[in-house]
Amino acid sequence: MKIKVCGLRVRENIVHVDQLEVDYIGLIFHEESPRFFSDQQLPDTMAKKIGVFVDKDFELIMNTIKEYQLKAVQLHGKESPELCRKLLKSDLEVIKAFAVDDDFEPSVLSDYSDSCSYFLFDTKTHKHGGSGKKFNWDILQSLDYSLPFFLSGGIGPEDANAIRSLRLNNLIGIDLNSRFEDAPAIKNFDKLSAFIKEIKPMKYKINEEGYYGSYGGAFIPELLYQNIQELKENYLKIMESDSFQDEFIRLLKEYVGRPSPLYFSKALSEKYGAQIFLKREDLNHTGSHKINNTIGQILLAKSLGKKRIIAETGAGQHGVATATVCAREGLECVVFMGALDVERQQPNVQKMQMLGAKVVPVESGNKTLKDATNEAIRDWINHPEETYYLIGSVVGPHPYPDMVSRFQSVISEEIKNQLKQQTGNVNSDKIIACVGGGSNAIGAYYHFLDDENVKLIAVEADGLGLETGETAATTAAGSPGIIHGSKTILMQTDDGQIVEPYSISAGLDYPGIGPVHAHLFETGRVEFIRATDDEALKAAFELTALEGIIPALETAHALAALPKLEFKEDELVVINISGRGDKDMATYQKYIESLKHPYQPPKMLTQAEHEDVNGLFIP
Amino acid sequence: MKRLNQLFQKNEKILSIYFTAGYPHLNSSKEIIIELEKNGVDLIEIGIPYSDPLADGPIIQKSSQIALENGMSLEFLLHELKDIRAEVDIPLVLMGYFNSVMQFGIEQLFKRMNEIGLDGIILPDMLIEVYEKEFCELFEEYDIKSIFLITPSTPEDRIRRIDKMSKSFIYMVSSASTTGVRETYDDNSLAYFKRIKSMNLKAPILTGFGISSKQHFDQVCEYSDGGIIGSAFIKSFKKEVPIQQSISSFVSSVKK
Ligand SMILES: Cc1ncc(COP(=O)(O)O)c(C=O)c1O
Repeated sequence: MKIKVCGLRVRENIVHVDQLEVDYIGLIFHEESPRFFSDQQLPDTMAKKIGVFVDKDFELIMNTIKEYQLKAVQLHGKESPELCRKLLKSDLEVIKAFAVDDDFEPSVLSDYSDSCSYFLFDTKTHKHGGSGKKFNWDILQSLDYSLPFFLSGGIGPEDANAIRSLRLNNLIGIDLNSRFEDAPAIKNFDKLSAFIKEIKPMKYKINEEGYYGSYGGAFIPELLYQNIQELKENYLKIMESDSFQDEFIRLLKEYVGRPSPLYFSKALSEKYGAQIFLKREDLNHTGSHKINNTIGQILLAKSLGKKRIIAETGAGQHGVATATVCAREGLECVVFMGALDVERQQPNVQKMQMLGAKVVPVESGNKTLKDATNEAIRDWINHPEETYYLIGSVVGPHPYPDMVSRFQSVISEEIKNQLKQQTGNVNSDKIIACVGGGSNAIGAYYHFLDDENVKLIAVEADGLGLETGETAATTAAGSPGIIHGSKTILMQTDDGQIVEPYSISAGLDYPGIGPVHAHLFETGRVEFIRATDDEALKAAFELTALEGIIPALETAHALAALPKLEFKEDELVVINISGRGDKDMATYQKYIESLKHPYQPPKMLTQAEHEDVNGLFIP
Repeated sequence: MKRLNQLFQKNEKILSIYFTAGYPHLNSSKEIIIELEKNGVDLIEIGIPYSDPLADGPIIQKSSQIALENGMSLEFLLHELKDIRAEVDIPLVLMGYFNSVMQFGIEQLFKRMNEIGLDGIILPDMLIEVYEKEFCELFEEYDIKSIFLITPSTPEDRIRRIDKMSKSFIYMVSSASTTGVRETYDDNSLAYFKRIKSMNLKAPILTGFGISSKQHFDQVCEYSDGGIIGSAFIKSFKKEVPIQQSISSFVSSVKK
């Protein structure tokens, strides 16, 4: 949502408003307006300066443009399409304003559809706007716009909700003026600031074009355009409908078992000198956070009328979570899984098969998650109509990253409530999560993103170590590029070939990260650190020994952050326990055997020996 | 670059061949191009091999993988083609994935394409929205033609928009599929071909994806200005047969 603040005059006030990172600052060059702008020194602004004119001719407008270095014009009178076009050709953004009342005749719009950049709809008055009154916004629902438009006229501090719920695809921005003033032309900073916070998608959220900063978007073959377009047009509408929300919340509660507990770990707290809480996503049905997303997407796929579900999977957790919801809904399910992962995550393959899914081993590339994702996308290209691609992380073309983030955001919503109940604080000091594609991490961060006091930490899988090249630590080893339909950071050669990653953890063995994480990395909002195979294994055994919780190998990477960070005694730390370790028993078993001392089941040991075993596995 | 426009002044049916640069051997591209022209092919698409070609089926995946193992890169290819215009006159276009071009630098690539005399580029994972918003001006500045795809699911108004934006030809994808070799075109495909033909688009249309025989080629030529063959051509290389011979027998099997 673009924000235009209109009718400013005083230098200090302009500088002040510009700090709110608005998109346009409007200067009114209409003599009869109480906010008429003339003969003033203008400060440089980050916002574009736009001149508002009523029935002025081309020369006068162009002179004003030059004098004040305006980038855009807004025309409020009876200006002709020809004049608009002439201005457009002069490298200006042109907004044509229309006065709207109940008798508004939409046919006038078509004359202007190829001669300006945007429309603006304002309340009809006999004085060219500025009445502080709204027109009947219902009219907007029935117009057939050829251009994106700004909404203007009497918008006030209390209107954020009403504007958001308009849900008009072409509504690109809003125009704020008299209702945010102390006196004509003097804007109230606090009122504007509060309103903009409410209405603007927050700094770390997706913008209207599907980007997080410079990352995201949709880089897909034309063959998938319709599928993505269908999703893009419908996902928010469906997700925000009451019937969807009721069903989603009910299933999370009754089927998944949410809210998942926030468990205070006394042992870890004592060991690391902080107040450490574990968010127990491992206790969800199917054993990880992945089910939050598959429940959401399957309901969406159903309302889109899809009959066949495809998915990619690495560790098999997303595959199991997808097969599970497909079994429940009676939908056909095909899961693509790298042949190597099929081998190292057997229990999950068996579960998927028992749940009625077809598991397709993928033999291309490194036979891991990246290759499984390629194959799922190719399958979708070949079955565009009846098939829904149920992506398992915050990767892929827009709108997938945003959609999956929203489904996983339930994690941080609960953390907030639980912290408040259990500690009296709503905010944690640190939140730690592992990042493969980044869905459990963004879920754990989501409601804390705009609170910069909460330190967010992402742990990437470092395999055998960055310097060996056998790593999956994307932000450390990668650079900006395109993978699986979105612009993000990925591991690649100078020639742009995607590099095969390596990690012991199948769920983190991926050469990219979701675009939201590329943005969070680049802006410094999230600190990215790495943990090697070995560090993760040690952390897994530590949690098991200290708390009786066997974590997934992916999660073990998040736990491996603990010895790497510094804490204060009273600091609140939340670690997202994204999944449980059942699927990783074979790997854990191998690790035990690889250690010099022969492994003995603890129950056969004496007390002294028991401590010795603990000493063996805990660093 | 007039070569592409001149090509479509011809009244004949156009045969375009796609091959993966670096397959079967690291430096076979030049020979393949020369032989294709000699045998009467009208237009060549030079595939830039990519590690993760999402729109491609098994054959082009495999040829790309081998090409990369052979050591092919975009830089190598451009160097190899440096003097190609001394020997070949027909239009040459590159086909590759957006990430390859992005890493090379799009403007850098266009400069080199101008120097060599390459006429256009097909980037299947660059939607027209991305082209319009970010790259249209660069394409125009260097007079590199961008070739866009349409598919059976592309809505009519979008096809019109693509037609308007096309400065050379439109690549009509024959069916909802990745590249590969197909047996026949079904009724759905034929209905789609007819629908597009009846739209009377301004840009010429070449049909591709799945064409593997003379019969296919003749069929798509009834509805469009010509056809593009990729997978079937790549598959026709045989270890024991010299490239020259293999190309001449392949092209004559389609063009007779
Ligand atoms: C338990 C668990 N945690 C984390 C991940 C990594 O995915 P993401 O980064 O999307 O949370 C996976 C993926 O398979 C997983 O199974």
